[in-house]
Amino acid sequence: MDEVATKIIEILRKNMKDPSKTVTLETPLSELEIESLDLAVIVFDIEDTFGIEIPYNANEEVEAFATVGSVVDRVKGIIAETKASGAAA
Amino acid sequence: MTHTNGRRRVVVTGQGVVTPLGTGVDKFWAALKKGECGIRQVQSFSTEDLYITIAGEVPDFDPKERLQSKPLLLADKYSQYAGCAAQEAVAMSKLEVPLKDNAAYRAACIIGSGVGGLTTLEFSYKMLFKENKRATHPLTLLKAIGSSASAHVSIEYSIKGPTFGVVSACSTATHAIGLTYRMIREGLVDLGIAGAAEASLNWGATRAWQAMRVLSPDGLWPFAKRRNGTVLAEGAGVLMLEEFEHAKARGAPILAEVLGYGMTADAADMVNPSIDGASMAMQQALDDAALAPSDIDYVNAHGTATAVNDVNETRAIKRVFGNAANKLSISSTKSMHGHCLGAGGGIEAVAAVKAIGEGFVPPTVGLDEPDPECDLDYTPNVGKKREVNYAMSNSFAFGGLNAVLVFGPSPA
Repeated sequence: MDEVATKIIEILRKNMKDPSKTVTLETPLSELEIESLDLAVIVFDIEDTFGIEIPYNANEEVEAFATVGSVVDRVKGIIAETKASGAAA
Repeated sequence: MTHTNGRRRVVVTGQGVVTPLGTGVDKFWAALKKGECGIRQVQSFSTEDLYITIAGEVPDFDPKERLQSKPLLLADKYSQYAGCAAQEAVAMSKLEVPLKDNAAYRAACIIGSGVGGLTTLEFSYKMLFKENKRATHPLTLLKAIGSSASAHVSIEYSIKGPTFGVVSACSTATHAIGLTYRMIREGLVDLGIAGAAEASLNWGATRAWQAMRVLSPDGLWPFAKRRNGTVLAEGAGVLMLEEFEHAKARGAPILAEVLGYGMTADAADMVNPSIDGASMAMQQALDDAALAPSDIDYVNAHGTATAVNDVNETRAIKRVFGNAANKLSISSTKSMHGHCLGAGGGIEAVAAVKAIGEGFVPPTVGLDEPDPECDLDYTPNVGKKREVNYAMSNSFAFGGLNAVLVFGPSPA
């Protein structure tokens, strides 16, 4: 597992109801029991850790993030976009 | 009327507002009737680096138009909003001020705020931490604290009875009005200025709100399928409440009666509301008023346009009103004045009292296509003439703090 995935799993674990649970890239998000403000905190921690901005509105239907792995992929995508627009600037 | 017999009655003898639709009840109500929207691009601070760039700001506010007192002219904007709204309410009530002798102690001034002088604080921190100033302006502390608005107004009119602020986020003003209503009813005082003010629109606060992910970058569309969050606003809403006989004796104008007040807490979640807490508060207000659900004509909903509130509120209304829910006219005036946070309940109480007085239900604007789960009559887009005898006003705040008022026609 790469550094991005490791850090994200660490952030998820910090904000889970039961941090002792095993979390892998395959773990379905629904199993993590994350609710309302916890999600906002997780998004904040990820943004802060990677210096990115994640567009997320709690009032809108969340994209179908099935697994932890899909979240990691999305974050990697935003990191790449951010670097690219930074380089272009 | 059963258990309300023998109870002191409390009436509304004045009201005052400062809102994104304008300052003054006449301007505010005219805009509500027309379905105008006061939510615009932010003007009063730089939105650099923010993705939320809209808000309901009070336009063309000049404190000198209504205020003369030097302390108020030097105060934080939230106190100035409170001062202006109070000035209008006092003038409308024709109360002789300053109050004298024992009458001064028989009056209350309960003016709350969600965050008080937050903008003063932001400025002061910038001076201290960024500019390394050695001192803040001496008035900083007084401008910042949440009790100053009530103090300023009490000084203005020589109110010497219970004077302080209350704090309950979006339910602040409703709690202030309810508390003052109970104080008058229980004989502690004979009149009171009650409501709240909020002037928390600034860069730092917007950053903080953005992090909660509940704001919409597009608009405030309560009960609509397309709704995607709330929009912050500011202002003040204040009622002059008075014991009925006291008001009659001095020939005061009587606009409406405060009949009921309910207050509950969800004891559930800091952000997401519960149906139980909301419905219980509405039921309590009805019971306090000794009214049946079918007596209510108009409900001014909390209607913040978040995904959760509007559905929750719809379900709570259905639970309390049953079949009578289908005969209600409901609207969220937040669709027009925005979410005025602590001041919201006061501004909305004024709208409810006007609805009774004028027999007109203000609309919920922006309701192009309703959420199928919000299937009550939310008075979409265009207001309507309707005889409104009894109106309910809902406030459901963060942390599950619920406050509901019921108003009725003038008993005079």
